[in-house]
Amino acid sequence: MNKPFIINIGRQLGSGGRSIADILARHYGITAYDRKLIELAARESGLSQELFENADEKKRHGFFHAIFSNRSMTNALGSNDSYLSNDALFKVQSDIIRDLAEHESCIFIGRCADYILRDHPNCINLFFTANFEDRVARMASEKGITNEQAAELVEKTDRRRAAYYNYYSGKTWGAAESYDLCINTSHLGHKGTAELLKEYIGLRMK
Amino acid sequence: MTEKKIPSELGTRPVGELLKQYAVPAIIAMLASSLYNIVDSIFIGHGVDALALSGLAVTFPLMNISTAFGAMVGVGSSTLISVKLGQKDYKIAQQILGNAVVMNVVMGIIFGALSLVFLDPILYFFGASDASISYAREYMQIILWGNVFTHIYFGFNALLRAMGHPKMAMKATITTVIVNTVLDPLFIFDTIDLGFVQFSGAGWGIRGAAIATVLAQCISLIWQLRVLSDKREFIHLKRGIYRLKSYIVKEVLVIGLSPCLMNLASCFVVIFINRGLADYGGDYAVGAYGIVHKMTFIFVMIVMGFTQGMQPIAGYNYGAKAYDRVNKVLRITIALATAVTTLAFVIGEFFPGYVARIFTSDEQMIEMAVVGMRYNCLMFPIVGFQMVAGNFFQSIAQPGKAIFLSLSRQLLFLVPFIIIFPHFWGIDGVWISLPASDLVSSITAAIMLGYYFKTHKM
Repeated sequence: MNKPFIINIGRQLGSGGRSIADILARHYGITAYDRKLIELAARESGLSQELFENADEKKRHGFFHAIFSNRSMTNALGSNDSYLSNDALFKVQSDIIRDLAEHESCIFIGRCADYILRDHPNCINLFFTANFEDRVARMASEKGITNEQAAELVEKTDRRRAAYYNYYSGKTWGAAESYDLCINTSHLGHKGTAELLKEYIGLRMK
Repeated sequence: MTEKKIPSELGTRPVGELLKQYAVPAIIAMLASSLYNIVDSIFIGHGVDALALSGLAVTFPLMNISTAFGAMVGVGSSTLISVKLGQKDYKIAQQILGNAVVMNVVMGIIFGALSLVFLDPILYFFGASDASISYAREYMQIILWGNVFTHIYFGFNALLRAMGHPKMAMKATITTVIVNTVLDPLFIFDTIDLGFVQFSGAGWGIRGAAIATVLAQCISLIWQLRVLSDKREFIHLKRGIYRLKSYIVKEVLVIGLSPCLMNLASCFVVIFINRGLADYGGDYAVGAYGIVHKMTFIFVMIVMGFTQGMQPIAGYNYGAKAYDRVNKVLRITIALATAVTTLAFVIGEFFPGYVARIFTSDEQMIEMAVVGMRYNCLMFPIVGFQMVAGNFFQSIAQPGKAIFLSLSRQLLFLVPFIIIFPHFWGIDGVWISLPASDLVSSITAAIMLGYYFKTHKM
């Protein structure tokens, strides 16, 4: 386990991606990047943090969004040279992801990191799902909202994540062939899933 | 290749210097493409007759629609390819290039064929009369046969820019302009008299202008093909990239949809103006508007060049929250744009006859163009401000406001004015709606910009 390795995590909202990433990060003594990445990206580029937060995994979809989203309206004006465009911000983030991956072992949550690091020799690409009711229940208790609201949030967020991932990677979000291992976390729970993953990672890194 | 790193100089160097660096190439590019439009009109006006200018003017909307569909693939594929190049994903970038070629060919053929079949009804709808339609038809028949090449040519230019070769794209544009300018007189006139030497031309009239246009694009296209087939390039044309991928086609069309709609909106307006002028002033009024439009187009393009130069500077500094620098570059750009449009105002108000004579020697049309130009340029000193304000919102990533301002001048206020005013003032009413729309949309822009300043105090 001495060569540097990267774990990339894709996840449905409410499947426990964040907490499993934390367990693994603690176990291996490495960092799990998600929001931290945004801070780094902002510092590096000199642009303010809100910009990145707004662009973050928020590529929308659907016909009307296709016309009225910020991205498409920017395109409508025929200029794709903006340094504030989602594409430009994605480029800043991916440069930082590559830079981090070159210097340390770490975990990336979301951001198409599996695609960005597709040429990295030691990447383990994971995708977490969970049963829909479990995800809704988890989000409802975490955010203190009703089940209906949580269900809507889960569906909307997943649609956005899929659109973002598919646009930038050219692969299909959540499809088994896009990852090395896809797990439904409902069965083993977060801790149990993390245990299984430690086994898997150990075998991969042998 | 395109290493799109954010240049940190945007946040440090004096904004005046930066503006010069970013705006000058943009202005040159804009001028080159506007010249391209104007040359045809000048030669047709003198080489054929005044009515041919009217025929040419009713073809603009159809050409615009063609451009709109071209822009769909052009903007879509170049945006997607630059994302992939930023990720050094040459395999997909390669496929995008191939897919873009196929999509351009398919669209070019479908659009060309459909328009050819329904050409006469389309032209009548766009404001042609029984007298002017023969010119419009002759011109468009050639242009539409060449439509596939036009689409590929513009598509390749967008891709060349996205692939980090803006200079090559510019070269292709300038080549097209020069070839077209040289071929136009040779193909249009019966005899060419340069004073010291006299020789015979092809004498094809308005058809000759169309042939020159298509031929010029084909020559640039051959050169583009050579550049894009160069195996030393990371991505180049080769076998196996032309099979359409659903991911690429879908994303290209989604990205390209809104630029396509914007272009369609602007052509929609020209249809309204042309029809209004045809109803109240006849063919000569339509031709006169063609002249007025071409004249103002040059100045509008120069302003667009300035705003394009402003965009990265305002955008970066806004993102870095350096509002003093944002405001400074905005002020400088407004001042420069106002100077340009004020120059257009002076020419349009005091020397309109000289301008009209560049395009035609027909006294009746000159007279109408003079009237049109005087009306059209009335509000020009404030139009520069309006255009910069719109583009400013675009550069600070608020494209919704930018689109609203752009549409307000060219569509939202203009169309109702064009429908209402002529009922009271006839042909003058059509002309008056142009400066009236300029005025109202400038006030709108001032209010929106004022609100911006209030919320972004230094």
